[in-house]
Amino acid sequence: MYSVLICDDSLVARKQVAKCLPEDWDVSVHFAKHGEEAIAALKEGKGQLLLLDLNMPVMDGYQVLEAIQTQGLKTTVIVISGDIQPEAHQRVKRLGALDFIEKPVSPGSFEKLLLRHRIMHGQIEEDRPELANLDPDIRDIYQEITNIAMGQAGDHLARILNVFVKLPIPNVNLIEASELHMMLQDIEDKDTVSGICQGFVGPGICGEALFILSDSSFNDVAKILNISEEVDDQVQLELLMDAANILIGTCLNGLASQLDMHFSQGHPEVLGQHRNITELININKTRWRRTLAIELSYGLEGYQVHCDLVLLVTEESMETMNNKLSHLLED
Amino acid sequence: MTDEALNDLTEFHWMMDMLQTVDVGLVVLNREFEVNLWNGFMESHSGLLPSQVRGKSLFSLFSEVNEVWFRNKARPVFELKNRAFIIWEQRPYLLKFPNYRPITGTEDFMYQNITLSPLISTTGKVDNICMMIYDVTDVAVGKKMLESTQVILSELNEKAAETPSGV
Repeated sequence: MYSVLICDDSLVARKQVAKCLPEDWDVSVHFAKHGEEAIAALKEGKGQLLLLDLNMPVMDGYQVLEAIQTQGLKTTVIVISGDIQPEAHQRVKRLGALDFIEKPVSPGSFEKLLLRHRIMHGQIEEDRPELANLDPDIRDIYQEITNIAMGQAGDHLARILNVFVKLPIPNVNLIEASELHMMLQDIEDKDTVSGICQGFVGPGICGEALFILSDSSFNDVAKILNISEEVDDQVQLELLMDAANILIGTCLNGLASQLDMHFSQGHPEVLGQHRNITELININKTRWRRTLAIELSYGLEGYQVHCDLVLLVTEESMETMNNKLSHLLED
Repeated sequence: MTDEALNDLTEFHWMMDMLQTVDVGLVVLNREFEVNLWNGFMESHSGLLPSQVRGKSLFSLFSEVNEVWFRNKARPVFELKNRAFIIWEQRPYLLKFPNYRPITGTEDFMYQNITLSPLISTTGKVDNICMMIYDVTDVAVGKKMLESTQVILSELNEKAAETPSGV
């Protein structure tokens, strides 16, 4: 089987790249956290195609390219990097890389590139690789019920704010604790976003809703909500809470009505400078391993408003949800 | 009276008793923000009897409530049947009640978390909302204390970094 080696120091980036591999492409995927691991894997024959990041600890992408040349390792290299300077492109090509893709990778353009370089041949219809072990039928159902709930939430938001809401396609995945950890770490590191988390519980189901609003949105949110005063920290918190209340509440209501149950909601917690998220997650790490994550990104037409709603549901809850939704599975 | 009717009445009685004694503030407000229900918690902390508040506007009873702000918070509850949450970080309190522990408590007033929940009538409309008031003074005091400790700690760390070691 054709082997693909993904080398990136960030777990999120590795997963993201892996997700962009064409679904019908039957390959074995390997991962490396830095250049040294990549070279070792190449020597074991684990990378006919190497997808390589540039900025990494221990041994960076440029050094990997040099090592491949000096050691005469057989592999095709495509560099995937956030460094979009023309100079970087030219340098990696001089060092033997076949092509350069800018981060974030999009599945469509990646597939085209693979076809163009004849790395992958089209019309291969084989079994899908098991990248995400969530049953596609179940994923479809979750996606569909979220679509409906989200539509209601969007409609509510549109009516109360008098704006047009751009509805996203929900992203349903099983994610590992470490991935969530990174996502939260990201909120903590960047002071450009603010977040609210709120627990919800229904019979046999428990989870948490995470609402994240980019700080650049605040001025426009204030405009929409007719707030004339200066947008200071206090006003920002008010806006954050208002938006979170509406989106989390209506989305949960929509889901609950389709599951024929009622969710209780706990009091929201503000995520941010006053709360050490790293510690919060570390403590809980042993309690859960994987969680179902439903990600929704909302935008408002004509405004610079961007917000994300992530609904996290424990793995155990999925059994109850699947039972409740089993009627949708039957043909 | 039949046994069944008596049972129903008894059940209603203890349920009301429970609402009356639960240590959470319960208030039912109509679309004009007039009080329809005022439980024991509210009575004790405000010093106002249910008979003194019934049918009166919340804003006329409590001047500390910002009317425009509160109406905005309640709007999605009436219009969208959506719950709304107000946390103490936004406003320490909605109604200024004294601290539950007047002697050993450090704060003068009660920090409050508020939930506004729609009450759907038989016609499917929301004519009334339920306001729940939770006393979160201890949580707030604990969090504020933690924050000030963190500030002191980082100041000490800075000082320690400035002083050359081994002196």
